[in-house]
Amino acid sequence: MIAQTWRSRPLVLSFVRRQYQLRYRQSLAGFFWAIVPPIASLLVATLVFHEVIGVQTGDPNVPYPLFVLAGLVPWSFFTSSVTAGVGSVASSQTMVTRLAFPRAIIPLSVVGTGLIDLGITVLVFIGFLIVTTTGVPITVLWTPVLLAIEIVFVTGVVLFGSALNVFARDIRLAIPLIMQLWLFLTPVMYPLSSVPDNLLPFFLANPMTGLIESFREVIIAGNAPDITVLMPAIIGAVLAFALGTWYFGVTESRFADVI
Amino acid sequence: MDAITLESVTKTYRVGVGRARVREMLPPPFDRVVRWAAPGWWARDTFNALDAVSLSIPDGSSIGIVGHNGAGKTTMLKVIAGVTSSTSGHVKVHGRVAALIDVVVGLHPDLTGRENIYLLGAMHGLGRKSMRERIDRVVEFAEIDDLIDTPLKRCSAGMITRIGFGAITALDADVLLVDEVLSVGDAAFQRKCATWLEDYRDGGGTLLFVSHNLGLVRSMTNRAIWLDHGKVVSDGDTNSVLMEYGRAMERRQAPEEVHAKGQVRKLMRARGMNRWGMGGARVEEVHVGEILDGLALDVRIAFEASEVDRAVFCVGFIDESGTEIGAAASPEVDVRNTTGEVTCRIRPLPLRSGIYFPVVAILSDDGMVRDRWQLDRALVVDRNGDGVLPDGFGPIDLPAAWITEGGAEVGA
Repeated sequence: MIAQTWRSRPLVLSFVRRQYQLRYRQSLAGFFWAIVPPIASLLVATLVFHEVIGVQTGDPNVPYPLFVLAGLVPWSFFTSSVTAGVGSVASSQTMVTRLAFPRAIIPLSVVGTGLIDLGITVLVFIGFLIVTTTGVPITVLWTPVLLAIEIVFVTGVVLFGSALNVFARDIRLAIPLIMQLWLFLTPVMYPLSSVPDNLLPFFLANPMTGLIESFREVIIAGNAPDITVLMPAIIGAVLAFALGTWYFGVTESRFADVI
Repeated sequence: MDAITLESVTKTYRVGVGRARVREMLPPPFDRVVRWAAPGWWARDTFNALDAVSLSIPDGSSIGIVGHNGAGKTTMLKVIAGVTSSTSGHVKVHGRVAALIDVVVGLHPDLTGRENIYLLGAMHGLGRKSMRERIDRVVEFAEIDDLIDTPLKRCSAGMITRIGFGAITALDADVLLVDEVLSVGDAAFQRKCATWLEDYRDGGGTLLFVSHNLGLVRSMTNRAIWLDHGKVVSDGDTNSVLMEYGRAMERRQAPEEVHAKGQVRKLMRARGMNRWGMGGARVEEVHVGEILDGLALDVRIAFEASEVDRAVFCVGFIDESGTEIGAAASPEVDVRNTTGEVTCRIRPLPLRSGIYFPVVAILSDDGMVRDRWQLDRALVVDRNGDGVLPDGFGPIDLPAAWITEGGAEVGA
């Protein structure tokens, strides 16, 4: 499946282009919508978690908005890609039942579209960094590595979820709930340091925890990522990718019959 | 060189919808384990749309596929196109395949015609660059210059048909699979598509053509395959396969025909493709006799009338392309509140050799169609008894004598 999909990479680009064309067609604000969600989340999180509940970042030198934004950028890529990706194959019924092409292109192009949005939010974030802080640490050069791990993880989850959703639409229905709970269980709005010790192993097993903590480490604190924190993310990414490509590969030939 | 080879290809579908389909979502090897452990459950609600079909189709040939609804025709195209995979057996295809399985071809309603054509090209391995040159051809073929940059959802169904077929013409496919597409769109465009398909075929392309329009199958192909319940019943030159298929349809009794008499005697309106009318009088049963001496045909109609006092009975014929070609109408008959029978004797039968579909109708004296029924069976006319059908000139047999120079009548 991987080889076949690799050969059709121009098609992935066509699909991404198509999805981008479609996304902002008939919308008045257009591109603006790529940056609205993280900024809105940032404002609400700052208001509710920081001002009302009084969550602190754990480091008096780090302002809460910066802290939250460093978590929201990787998180929103994850959640928007998974939410859109899982239903993507099932909603491409006309195409799947009439045309022969590597089916993986559909979910992959959703991830690709998410990457463009990620790029936009990263630009906004960098602007934010330059305005609010004195300097950007050299360790930001780690971010491509962290993003690569996240992309592998997201791709695996989306491939697995979108294939399973063809057979059981329960997946699509459950995803908003899962994503909401997952957000609460991931230190996006609060620091990992505020998690009680007895719950810490459970939080650290979450691949998104490792990724978001590492993002903050390299972007804000200026340290190289802590390998013990990042390890669950690497393992999770590899496992998710293996599971996703395998399951998608063995079931894609049935999609047209079941969809 | 064979363009398409099928080796005992079987395609099993599950019928019914509903609950999440657990059997389907099991990845190998778990599916094999379950199949082995609970074979009865595994096989429940399944049917074979294709049942051990073996075929080889040489490069450059054009093949017609005929059969009743549900015979497996579209499934065969889908398996060859690679849209779905066969349950068992092998499928080999050489060259670029394009499939027109119903006209929308997987076009996306929110994209414009141009974007759709680019996407379709990309799916067939043609990049934007090579599609850019072809797109003018599509626009020209489909005659849609002003609509090519409009999202498809704002185009009429006819326009979408044009764009769909036009896009297929731009793909330069080696193997073209066409499923009943020439039955849509306006007549002029249908003609254009048929001409294009003829050119494609004559240019050496391999064509697989599914249609209920036997006339079109006859004109487009020289070999035909008759599928029934997923099996190849007959495979050979188009003329003889169609003749065989027609004869089978002649013998066939539609369930409706058999049970009509025992049904509740309610004279209701009928609405359907093959039967419609405003009710008040009803055809109960039709018996189409044998053609006697190649000349006379009796059609016996059993009827029931409740709200019609005087009726006109009609027996007509539709040819293999679906065109109504003529009818016999009775004088007004007194039918007040009766059930009865009337026989139409057509003599001589003015039809040339071919496959025809009888239609019977009851009209009231005010001209309203009370019941019109196109029978689900055929009438095969074989004038010379050799199964050879004439090429061209249509279905009407003109009564004529032929006189040679010497003044003698030929064959008299």
